[in-house]
Amino acid sequence: MIPLQVLVADDEPVSRTVVGAMLKKAGYPVIFANDGEQAWQKIDSHDPPAIALLDWEMPGLQGPEVVQKIRDRKVQTPTYVILLTSRDSSADIVEGLRAGADDYVTKPANEDELVARVNVGARVVQLQTALADRVTSLEEALANVKALQTLLPMCAYCKSIRNDQNYWEKVETYFTQHSNVSFTHSYCPACYEHYVRPELEALEGARAAQERHNRR
Amino acid sequence: MAGPPVLDDAVIASLRQLTPPGEPDVLAEVLRLFLSEVPRRMELLRIACAAGNIEGVYRSAHSLQGSAGNIGAMRLLAVCKKLNDLGRAGDLTHSASLVDALGAEYRRVEAEIHRLITDG
Repeated sequence: MIPLQVLVADDEPVSRTVVGAMLKKAGYPVIFANDGEQAWQKIDSHDPPAIALLDWEMPGLQGPEVVQKIRDRKVQTPTYVILLTSRDSSADIVEGLRAGADDYVTKPANEDELVARVNVGARVVQLQTALADRVTSLEEALANVKALQTLLPMCAYCKSIRNDQNYWEKVETYFTQHSNVSFTHSYCPACYEHYVRPELEALEGARAAQERHNRR
Repeated sequence: MAGPPVLDDAVIASLRQLTPPGEPDVLAEVLRLFLSEVPRRMELLRIACAAGNIEGVYRSAHSLQGSAGNIGAMRLLAVCKKLNDLGRAGDLTHSASLVDALGAEYRRVEAEIHRLITDG
């Protein structure tokens, strides 16, 4: 599995570098942002980071404001957000989590704790991605089932089926196109007696007649 | 003077072991950033303090607190915290003397960092 990318957003370069180095050592590819605006630009892109560590207090957009924007983004697998904060009163922590952060780490970060929390984030993101993929494949399967639940107009004599474009198709063609069913051709005992045996006997008769003719 | 160390050995040791094999030294990079960032921030703090700019004092003190905490400059960190609290409370009465104390603490940290860099 490809390691998930982590964004570290902090206007304070010493902290940004230390946190980035801790994550790189743990094997995560790291990208950086120097303020909230830059962080938002990197998250609101076609290739957003899976996890973002956002400083609570940055010039421009602050951490909780960036979180709010991420939550408004409504994507299938949103960026997992950890707030970095030197504030450690429980009121501030509650405020950050209420704004929509998934977790928080107090600064200066302890390496083991930081990496452990980012690992939790990675696990959540991977579960969410797996779940989203599963939902997509189930939706596709459901669409196929629905296509087969309609009333099919069928010719009473030749058993052809009229498709949505008003063309008559062989049963095999219709089902191959509208389901995952594929056909192998064979014959049932009744049809063997009715069609196959007379045909075989006719062939045998023709062969015998040809041999008699050749002998003459 | 007793109390917390100028630089916490444990924090320096933990920064030292962050460098992956074959990569540039993380500790050296962090100390270099500290030496270039902190005087600039202290100047901003001094200006904000002189102008009675509470928001400016809070912002600069907060940022300095982050820098000091990350390299384990415990005594510098304690002064930053006091300034941060003053800025937060909106009371700058005693901030001037704290700014002086900050300058003095910074010079100690700076000397310690230079000693670390020369000792390797």
